[in-house]
Amino acid sequence: MTITEVPNVAGAIETLESHLHPQPSFDLADHPSPNGREEVWRFTPMRRIAPLLEERANEDREGDPAVAFTLNAPDGVEASTLNRGQAPRGTVLVPGDRPAALADLGCEDALYVRIPANTEVAEPIRLEIEGRDAGRRSNAVHVIVAEPNSKATIVYRHSGSTQQLENIEIDVRDGANLTFVSLQDWADDTLHAAEHTARVGRDATYRHVNVSFGGDVVRMHTNVYYDGPGGSAELFGLYFADAGQHIEHRLFVDHNAPHTKSNIDYRGALQGQDAHAVWIGDVVIRKVAEGIETYESNKNLVLSEGARADSVPNLEIETGEIAGAGHSSTTGRFDDEHLFYLTSRGIDPVEAKRLVVMGFFVDIIRRIGIPDVEERLVAEVERELAASVGAAK
Amino acid sequence: MTQTQAPGLGATQDEHLEALGKYRFGWHDADTAGASARRGLNDDVVRDISARKGEPEWMLERRLKGLRLFERKPMPTWGADLGGIDFDNIKYFVKSTEKQAQTWEDLPEDIKNTYDRLGIPDAEKQRLVAGVAAQYESEVVYHKINEELERQGVVFLDTDTGLKEYPELFQEYFGTVIPTGDNKFAALNTAAWSGGSFIYVPKGVHVSIPLQAYFRINTENMGQFERTLIIADEGSYVHYVEGCTAPIYKSDSLHSAVVEIVVKKGARVRYTTIQNWSNNVYNLVTKRATCEEGATMEWIDGNIGSKVTMKYPAVWLLGEHAKGETLSIAFAGEGQHQDTGSKMVHAAPHTSSSIISKSVARGGGRASYRGLVEVQPNAHHSASSVKCDALLVDTISRSDTYPYVDVQTDDVSMAHEATVSKVSDDQLFYLMQRGMEEDEAMAMIVRGFVEPIARELPMEYALELNRLIELQMEGAVG
Repeated sequence: MTITEVPNVAGAIETLESHLHPQPSFDLADHPSPNGREEVWRFTPMRRIAPLLEERANEDREGDPAVAFTLNAPDGVEASTLNRGQAPRGTVLVPGDRPAALADLGCEDALYVRIPANTEVAEPIRLEIEGRDAGRRSNAVHVIVAEPNSKATIVYRHSGSTQQLENIEIDVRDGANLTFVSLQDWADDTLHAAEHTARVGRDATYRHVNVSFGGDVVRMHTNVYYDGPGGSAELFGLYFADAGQHIEHRLFVDHNAPHTKSNIDYRGALQGQDAHAVWIGDVVIRKVAEGIETYESNKNLVLSEGARADSVPNLEIETGEIAGAGHSSTTGRFDDEHLFYLTSRGIDPVEAKRLVVMGFFVDIIRRIGIPDVEERLVAEVERELAASVGAAK
Repeated sequence: MTQTQAPGLGATQDEHLEALGKYRFGWHDADTAGASARRGLNDDVVRDISARKGEPEWMLERRLKGLRLFERKPMPTWGADLGGIDFDNIKYFVKSTEKQAQTWEDLPEDIKNTYDRLGIPDAEKQRLVAGVAAQYESEVVYHKINEELERQGVVFLDTDTGLKEYPELFQEYFGTVIPTGDNKFAALNTAAWSGGSFIYVPKGVHVSIPLQAYFRINTENMGQFERTLIIADEGSYVHYVEGCTAPIYKSDSLHSAVVEIVVKKGARVRYTTIQNWSNNVYNLVTKRATCEEGATMEWIDGNIGSKVTMKYPAVWLLGEHAKGETLSIAFAGEGQHQDTGSKMVHAAPHTSSSIISKSVARGGGRASYRGLVEVQPNAHHSASSVKCDALLVDTISRSDTYPYVDVQTDDVSMAHEATVSKVSDDQLFYLMQRGMEEDEAMAMIVRGFVEPIARELPMEYALELNRLIELQMEGAVG
């Protein structure tokens, strides 16, 4: 089989308008304030997210920024800033909705992290993002470039209270290998809208892990498209929606190059009155994308009454010449058979439930590959479970 | 392939392929009925339709309300491209014969010819058909009910007659399952409806043979707005079969039906459709059933023809232990968009639903599954399973899946699964080395793929489905 060379497709998403992915644009006029009936907004609580739809500058005060950033970059990694219009800012990500357009408008200096070609960075690059005030806006644009054949891991940790808009553009060049972990560990009054867009180069490997525990309204877009054949993207996520929380993950993988792969696996648990989790997956397989392979999966565990889970794994396929495509979505509570098995072995019911839920999440956690993050997540799940199921013995 | 060869197909391959591109039922009789009907829809047309039918005042008001809602509602933009519909160029009411015929011999000659070619008399002879309400243009012209059914008290009429003879049932149920303003096309249907079937099955009556109706559009630019109402009283059972074929015309036709089904406590209704409109028809249909306690609703929905179909048969599970099932198959060939699926709304505890959807796209066609499973907060101990399989037989066709799932309670089990696969070279090679031609092998694989649905159909429909698939698949290999 011949592998067709695909021209550079920067901004390729622009040509792919549909009710699921409106035309991206930097111009705010192209993103009028939504009324909640639009396909891409219909699950979002519009009144609560309204502050993120207003045009506002960074509300930093002298010596007291709205959000404190602490970058911990190991040797070999370069960090600087980019003005609006200064390449490579704006090459990979074109805002797909109003918050993303506002983030770009409101951010003068984008953080620029560059991993030089042929460099392997053993230690994770860490960025701590700490909100200071639930009433103040922060507009962030980050540009991450993993140059050819480099390898690195980046861990973002969001905490505290704020109104955060965040665009992260990630360019994984040919043969590079990048793992990006984003932890949403916000306080309960934070509003967060983010767009993480990656372009995956020829034979490059990209892994994106989304972990959403905290926040009042969290709306995360994770987009991927390709810059050549052989690219692979793995998008994992886990989330825990507690009473009153709205956690929304929207994924969009555009298979615009042949012989590319994507694998999406998101798992979440919901507990408490009006806990709401929304998961929208969308995989597009274009005509040119022959021989690709994709699977998307979302599993929801509803731990108490009053919670609500929306799950929509979309698939749009324009060619039949593919290796495989599928998706699945399940929503339910504890698997009674699993529980029965464990209790029949003498494990008490509370412990059994805890084990079943842990097993559900550990499947994702162990794929992250960063020991301290994994340990932290296991502890976090334990803490969440103590509320609805019971504490570990 | 000789057994499936349509009349008039050529002997050489080129002639054969040429002939295959043509719609097999693409003949039509001289257009005598349509010439007089007006185009476009307004208050006067609606009043005229209602007056000609001698309807009660409340129905006229309902129609006018439908017209207002139709004008006010925007065109849906989330699904298929409906830009080709010109509402002002459609005849909203066409009447072909003045009064209903009682026997086959009473039918006008050209109508008999049409039905002979569809094979209705044969079906009648074989007693496979319980009552045939053959819809020729907008009104039912041939109607015969098996004496046994009448004795059991089963009512099987065209909807216009139903309204005259059972006004109290209409007042009670008409528009209760699908309100006038449910969507733009339901509103249009409410304003302009004509024809369709009305079925009432009394308590505890089990109708053992399927009730069938044939629908045909035979006038250029004629919208057909049937209105079907089925009421299955407690503990009863009925299987209703709707099949459509339509001749080819030059400009686009619109078909916008509304089907309302009330399934009472412990009753079971099965509704089978094989839709095979010719490839210029916009088929925009609203179908919904409500299920009371312990009731079962089954939709078997085949979509083969039409230019654009948007159809999502729905079941509202309102009583405990109610059950909804949809088996759906869509076949999208060149220039076709089948946007189909199903909706299941769990509004009571211990309800269950299942959706199985299979689609095949070829020749640049587009098959989309669009569905919704909603589990409301009080619907604990509910279970739902959705399975979508798509088969792609070439590289230019398109297949989409848009499965919406909305779960609002904890004690529930919901699973959705979809696979998209391509006919593999291995499968083809295996069959071909057993002596099959490539297109024969391809058709066999497709038949195998849809078999779980085909076997749920009455036999003559299963045969017709297989024949249609073979016709569609010929020329798919190249």
